[in-house]
Amino acid sequence: MMDDLSIRLETISLCYRLAKQRVPSIKEYAIHFLRGSLSYEQLWALRDIDLTVRRGETVGIVGRNGAGKSTLLKVISKVLKPTKGNARINGRVAPILELGSGFDYELTGLENVYLNALLLGHTKREIDAKVDEIVDFSGLGDFIRSPLRNYSSGMQARLGFSIATAWVPDILILDEVLSVGDATFTSRCEERIRSFHDSGATVLIVSHAIQAILKNCTRCIWLDDGEMKADGDALEVVNLYLREHGTEPGEHAGGRVPTAS
Amino acid sequence: MREIYRYRDLIFALVARELKVRYRRSAIGFTWTMLQPLLMMLVLQVVFSSLFRFKLDEGTNNYPVYALCGILFWNFFSQSIVASMNSLRGNSPILRKLPVPKEVFPLATVISGVINLVLALVPLMLLLLVTHHPMTPALLFLPVSILLAGLFTLGAGLLLSPLAVFFSDVVEMIGVLLSILMYLTPIFYPMKILENSPYLPLVRFNPVRSILEVFRDPIFRGKVPPLTHLSVCFGIALAALLLGAWAFRRSSDRIPFYI
Repeated sequence: MMDDLSIRLETISLCYRLAKQRVPSIKEYAIHFLRGSLSYEQLWALRDIDLTVRRGETVGIVGRNGAGKSTLLKVISKVLKPTKGNARINGRVAPILELGSGFDYELTGLENVYLNALLLGHTKREIDAKVDEIVDFSGLGDFIRSPLRNYSSGMQARLGFSIATAWVPDILILDEVLSVGDATFTSRCEERIRSFHDSGATVLIVSHAIQAILKNCTRCIWLDDGEMKADGDALEVVNLYLREHGTEPGEHAGGRVPTAS
Repeated sequence: MREIYRYRDLIFALVARELKVRYRRSAIGFTWTMLQPLLMMLVLQVVFSSLFRFKLDEGTNNYPVYALCGILFWNFFSQSIVASMNSLRGNSPILRKLPVPKEVFPLATVISGVINLVLALVPLMLLLLVTHHPMTPALLFLPVSILLAGLFTLGAGLLLSPLAVFFSDVVEMIGVLLSILMYLTPIFYPMKILENSPYLPLVRFNPVRSILEVFRDPIFRGKVPPLTHLSVCFGIALAALLLGAWAFRRSSDRIPFYI
């Protein structure tokens, strides 16, 4: 039964302590410390989140900007350690947290394939074996030899996705990646996500494009102000979410969703 | 440890990138590593031997060799410290988004510093030839000396680099402390001149001096450092490394929040 679990979060809370202050200097720190006036602005990005994801589930995450979606993904990909609570993550995580995380804009696309895959924990030998496939899947053609600063955001997303998904991970994390590429690439991505799903990988997708969530996910969770507002069938949760926020401009590309009936 | 080993290829790539950046930025590139210590040594030769006149009295009075050993060692130490403090900041986009073991950044910095030190041995050996300084088999001991210096510096770098993330002015402060430490290390002057000085204990118990002598002994004095001194130095280096690794581990989880 336990082997079946991919992610288990038990009452996770996460607090950004200095989120609204600049990095202090030692001098300031010392002065405040002596005065006893050390105060921190606390910002709870996640509050008491419970989440259990079984192997092979594809889960969407919706919520407004600043609701804690990306923070939650960072906890799951072990970038941030929760302030309170227990996080158990089973297996290798392939995080695509943002456009071009870990890219060096002065290096060429090809050099970035190596750098990025190394940062994801692969060895050079593993990358050598996969590099052609990665370049091929990205569809960047000759652009692969030009520096990354010449890439459009869509091209960066394509490269990032191709690298992170070249190896079948146990957990794939996609933060606003699907909405950047063009239609052809997006459908290839979705095809690959489905093949991961078939081979038993867990996929988490954050997107403001509601259609992308409905198309790829069976389950969806809704985060609001750091709290879990809903967790369940994708269509139901998305509808709940849209009922509350549907009028906000720019929050849901794709418009209203057809109801189940 | 196992985690870091898994990322070994990343460490190599970071080292290669750091070396490439260092040599690309200067116009004459690679040759600069060779020239810079020699030029500095020439200046010192003029300033110290003609104006201040130290008598080394250690069987040889070859001041240039004495000073260059000190300079190369000190450059390695201080530059590695400062660079590893900047290494976390410099890679903040990565640390904010990817679960990489954070030690790899200071580690790669110190390794590229070691490579630089090894390259700088070339002008040093040239100087030995030019000044007819005796070259003995003790030179073969140098890899051990450099390893020792590397471990000690890595420990200091691990200890200090998280601080640079938490406080913005730490790098400048460490810069001041380093320049004090430089004068407390017999780089330009021989220990002898401190015989009646109140500062003698400060210099004698300065761990950087102990490690420097392990580097200078095989080159300048043509002998392997005495075993007692060596074991003290290994003790110092190990203690620095353990302390640094422990401190880094402790603060490691908080780094992405502050960076």
